Amino acid sequence: MPPTEPVTGRSGGRHAGVAVVAVAALVFLCLPIVIVVPMSFSSARSLRFPPPGLSLRWYHELLADPEWLVAMINSAIVALSSSALAVVLGVLAAYGLVRGRLAGRTAIEAMFMAPLVIPSVIIAIALYIAFAQAGLLGTFEGLIAAHTIHSAPYVVLVMSVAIASFDHRIEQMARSLGAPERTVLLRVVLPNVLPSIAAAWILAFVVSFDEVILTLFLFGNKYTIPKQMFVRLELRIDPTITAVATMLIVLSVAALVVAILLSPPLRGLLGLGRHQDQTAA
Amino acid sequence: MGPADGATAPRRKAGARSRQGAAFVLPLFLFMLVAFTAPVLLMLGWSVTNPTPTARHYAYLLETPVYLKVLANTLRIALITTAACTALGYPLAYWLRGLAARPRLIALSLVVLPFWISILIRTYAWIVILGNAGLVNRSLMDIGLIGTPIPFLYNELGVTIGTVNVLLPFFVLPLYASMTRIDQRLLDAAASLGAPGRTIFWRVFFPLTGAALAASAILVFILTLGFYITPAILGGGRVPMVANMLDMLINTFPRWELAAAISTLLMTVVIGLYLMSRWARTRAAY
Repeated sequence: MPPTEPVTGRSGGRHAGVAVVAVAALVFLCLPIVIVVPMSFSSARSLRFPPPGLSLRWYHELLADPEWLVAMINSAIVALSSSALAVVLGVLAAYGLVRGRLAGRTAIEAMFMAPLVIPSVIIAIALYIAFAQAGLLGTFEGLIAAHTIHSAPYVVLVMSVAIASFDHRIEQMARSLGAPERTVLLRVVLPNVLPSIAAAWILAFVVSFDEVILTLFLFGNKYTIPKQMFVRLELRIDPTITAVATMLIVLSVAALVVAILLSPPLRGLLGLGRHQDQTAA
Repeated sequence: MGPADGATAPRRKAGARSRQGAAFVLPLFLFMLVAFTAPVLLMLGWSVTNPTPTARHYAYLLETPVYLKVLANTLRIALITTAACTALGYPLAYWLRGLAARPRLIALSLVVLPFWISILIRTYAWIVILGNAGLVNRSLMDIGLIGTPIPFLYNELGVTIGTVNVLLPFFVLPLYASMTRIDQRLLDAAASLGAPGRTIFWRVFFPLTGAALAASAILVFILTLGFYITPAILGGGRVPMVANMLDMLINTFPRWELAAAISTLLMTVVIGLYLMSRWARTRAAY
């Protein structure tokens, strides 16, 4: 493949009109995020921007509100459990898919990836009907299962790339030297893909922590942070939401940076970084 | 990677490898079978039974104007969203391709960043920006350009701004990736033969991105069809889309069989269009 150098000369990328639209699109994309953070430090109840004064009152109100605290604990339980489950199931499945030689691999992969394509609301309806009959509506078990369905495809995606890019001859070498299968997996494969497993876990955790629609339909009268935010947004203007939002933004960005630093495959999937230039060379 | 393995691995091990691969895949396979596939099949069952097999739920949907209206509404918003994403996203992807490495990394990070921020936060911010007492309206009134606030929100415009904002990265990233794979020598060849920049773009570059553009557009279209949060908040209940109607059929007046029928229709459309976009992607020259 030829190097992907920037287009030079008259052939484009430098057209003024293109640059104006592109920069406007970037501003449009990031404006909401840029606006929310200063709003959370506002001293006023109104949604004035820029805020008339600065204060931490919305953070105080947030921490003093038991509803948010309960939602935080529920969110943590669901996100930790579902991401752990998704990582265990997803890492094993990715290894089997990449290294094994399965009949019907395409169909199996299609089933694993389907939740990325089918709208969450449809999955929510299907699970609602099933959970209602199984007595799982409004339970942690039910919601954790639902979030695992939602986040497992991301784990399979990241880990398939990670395992495929790990040289399989190293595994064969270990086997030919007489290492039992168990040793090959735990002492050769696992240490090499561990950073990607961590990245996949972070991804699954954030996906679950941000999930709203499945939670709205399936969690009964229990709340997670996004569900609490959604319900309050529908009801009234509530500046504590900006404080929650700011804390979530900080958490998400930190998680994203850690995940990207940990996993070159994730960088590649996101189209970020030097990955592209290197593969081109 | 697969075919290369087959060439080097001893043949007698193929059977063992297959069984071993299956053992690794089995746990997730069983989980998805029970927790995902079975409920989806159960939903399909609800949509065609009463409790004996029937097509009456689908017939009822087609005969009831309110359902058709919401469906038409959803399709229109999805079309407008796709058009707006194309108008903003294509120039953005093209501009990214032309940037030097470091500015490109920064710009790409800005495209990826919103992916990671809760859709609720981004939707909420639009109320701050576009509401009657919001940033835009107050600025316009302060400088005396308008006397009364412009109603950006709680109508189709507000919903569309929200959907485009959420979906633009889904449009830009795959399109950009495909643009970076275009062979620069083709463009250089056209230039050395004396073609002006405009001709190179429209006759060489643009046609090469056609399939990827189609794939991105279809992806945005099908993702819009399932939107729930944005119409609920930025539409203020006045711009119902299919997902909000499903919510009512489950939570307000329980009509599971209708919800199941609508979901089945929507799922069929989504999967059909997704397969089309996959096909478009495989036809992409780059």
